[in-house]
Amino acid sequence: MSNNTYDAIVIGSGISGGWAAKELTEKGLKTIMLERGKNIEHIKDYVNANKGPWEFEHRGGRTQKMIEDYPVLKRDYPLNETNLDYWTNEKESPYTEIKRFDWFRGYHMGGRSLMWGRQSYRWHDTDFEANLKDGIGTDWPIRYKDLAPWYSHAEKFAGISGNRDGVPILPDGDFMPPMDMNIVEKDVQKRFKDFYKDARHFIIGRTANITVPHNNRTNCQYRNKCWLGCPFGAYFSTQSATLPAAMATGNLTVRPWSIVTKILYDKDTKKAKGVEVLDAETNKTYEFYAKIVFVNASALNSAWVLMNSATDVWEGGLGSSSGELGHNVMDHHLGVGAGGRIEGFEDKYTFGRRANGIYIPRYRNLNGEKRDYIRGFGYQGGGSREGWSRDIAELNIGGSFKDALSEPGSWNFGMGGFGETLPYHENRAYLDKTKKDKWGLPILAIDAECKDNERKMRIDMMNDAKEMLENAGVKDVNTYTSEPVLGRGIHEMGTARMGRDPKSSVLNEWNQVWDAKNVFVTDGAAMASAACQNPSLTYMALTARAADYAVKELKKGNI
Amino acid sequence: MNRRAAIRNMALIMGSAVVLPSCLHDDKGKAVVELKHLKIDADQEKLVNSLTETILPKTDTPGAAELGINLFVFKMLDDCTSKEQQADFITGLGGFADEAKKQMGKSFADGTDKERTAFVTQMEQHSKDKNYKDNAKSMAFYQMVKGQTIFGYTTSKFFMTKQVVYELVPGRYNAMYPAKKAMA
Ligand SMILES: Cc1cc2nc3c(=O)[nH]c(=O)nc-3n(C[C@H](O)[C@H](O)[C@H](O)COP(=O)(O)OP(=O)(O)OC[C@H]3O[C@@H](n4cnc5c(N)ncnc54)[C@H](O)[C@@H]3O)c2cc1C
Ligand code: SF4
Repeated sequence: MSNNTYDAIVIGSGISGGWAAKELTEKGLKTIMLERGKNIEHIKDYVNANKGPWEFEHRGGRTQKMIEDYPVLKRDYPLNETNLDYWTNEKESPYTEIKRFDWFRGYHMGGRSLMWGRQSYRWHDTDFEANLKDGIGTDWPIRYKDLAPWYSHAEKFAGISGNRDGVPILPDGDFMPPMDMNIVEKDVQKRFKDFYKDARHFIIGRTANITVPHNNRTNCQYRNKCWLGCPFGAYFSTQSATLPAAMATGNLTVRPWSIVTKILYDKDTKKAKGVEVLDAETNKTYEFYAKIVFVNASALNSAWVLMNSATDVWEGGLGSSSGELGHNVMDHHLGVGAGGRIEGFEDKYTFGRRANGIYIPRYRNLNGEKRDYIRGFGYQGGGSREGWSRDIAELNIGGSFKDALSEPGSWNFGMGGFGETLPYHENRAYLDKTKKDKWGLPILAIDAECKDNERKMRIDMMNDAKEMLENAGVKDVNTYTSEPVLGRGIHEMGTARMGRDPKSSVLNEWNQVWDAKNVFVTDGAAMASAACQNPSLTYMALTARAADYAVKELKKGNI
Repeated sequence: MNRRAAIRNMALIMGSAVVLPSCLHDDKGKAVVELKHLKIDADQEKLVNSLTETILPKTDTPGAAELGINLFVFKMLDDCTSKEQQADFITGLGGFADEAKKQMGKSFADGTDKERTAFVTQMEQHSKDKNYKDNAKSMAFYQMVKGQTIFGYTTSKFFMTKQVVYELVPGRYNAMYPAKKAMA
């Protein structure tokens, strides 16, 4: 056995890659996790985590230089001074936008598990059955019961805090104690409940921040600085959770700066024998061999790896025989919602910064309702007291203005929608052979957009938000909406979907590539539809389930 | 604190935002604050410094100058605004200086607290007047300075630790904290 040979290879170290590494190593497989970016060591490398806001040169804002260097990231809130280092260098790793697509990436150990928003929701059978029922895309080859035990498994290990709300469309999970709503949210919740009874629900967010100590991790200290990296390991990330567990087995090797350029496919065995790696620092090429390969580079990059693989057999790459590889790009569309003012509670404030908000699960197109669009949306939001720096009506300069700046302002409540997008075959990513990245590798071109169904849904997303807030007693409600842009939801999915038929899907019910049974794709690429819940918990569950199957098949000698 | 010491302290706080010039007393009209993009002279610098202090003056708590907010304003304008905004800033700075001089009979920085406050209060009134035409860009200039002054103040260590209670590690979330206790 050469020292480049392992039992398993995991491509990518983000949320799904970390899970694959943990599950495979815990089941005894010698595993190497290949990560294209630099290493970021837990706690030690969270260099900004303990700084006060005043310690940042521009107090967290963005400079002109940052705006020039990050033409994509600048389009939304992620471009900021405090964790700039965690975002992909756009000059080194460009992509082509046939239509605007906001791709917010993180190329480093832990991937976007370091910066994610941690909202974690299960899917429901309504979601798994939707494609079949609507005759859209391809039917999911699994149902809720197939994933339910793996959701539990993922929740118990990751540590998801939440309330068992008993909302039919949003199954309860194995939760840690929920975070508290603040006084204004409780007030809105009460009036919301009086008005909507059980037709709609207003619940505390379910989040991957632990509220009790767990596996040597300290419970959340309410700092709300999560995306700098948490010195307490209080939110789920590769570094805080899956990586230490995988390392503890003694079976894991981690190799940063390792860009997997292709999966090595063996025509005779019809299986992968390993991967080719380009060392991002030295530009040297290496090969690594293994019995199974888990592809976890995140939806678009996993498709990119597949497109570059086995091109001597299939021109479009491994998995392209279905005609679906790179197609059906999905995301959640957002940037639409409402907010307003809450009267009273002037004598109350919140202490601590809760890294969570409230959630209103989907209620549209359920129980026989038929809007002029299909599927639905949920909302995330919260109540807060206005910042110190608001304008004070009369006093605009001088000593008393200065004093007034430190008085808290009025209470506000706001929320924004997350809408389901449909899997459109023509929404796709493909290799742009005309351009190369810093390493001379072909880059992706992305050609995807929101269509009629999403646009119609957004009208409800805006109007419903206003109506619900008003019904719950919020005053001076303002709505907002925007041109829907894919990518902006940071929930890319669908580029190597699961299905029941190799002619219309890239992966089978166990996330195996139909054309190479020892290759498993378990990140967002696998999704056959998008639902409207934040997706990462589902990637965790799918990954753990596939890893369990892979090891069993390996032991049986089937792969 | 003398000026040199104040600037040196500020440089430490802001991660050497300010490079000390070789001689602070050479009165050739060169600004003390070192900027990469904006070109301003000593008089213009003085004007901005006194404007930030007029917006947030020293009372029984420190004002803009003592907290180094003026330097922060320059840093932000220099690093974080576009070429167009910087051009407006320079034009508006000139416009503001001229208008102030006309009205006060002396440069803005040489005005008394009262005179400066009166002039800036008038700017505030203009800002609420829909028919006001900002021909000299002095309003654009003023709004930029004011915005950054307030931002700098409300994110300063003094403000966040002495004026309001900001704890780096709260350790708990109290959803119904009495508002009074949130203010030191
Ligand atoms: C600001 C923000 C907020 C978010 N909020 C939420 C939320 O509240 N809830 C939720 O569910 N999701 C949220 N997400 C999305 C979530 O982060 C992603 O769904 C999740 O990280 C996807 O996991 P992944 O393993 O597929 O990919 P990633 O976490 O992106 O990791 C992929 C890894 O693969 C590496 N890689 C890529 N190509 C290669 C290659 N060729 N070779 C080797 N390595 C490679 C990358 O460097 C990266 O480390 C949020 C994301 C962001 C940025
Ligand atoms: S809010 Fe909680 S999880 Fe986030 S950084 Fe603070 S302690 Fe860590």
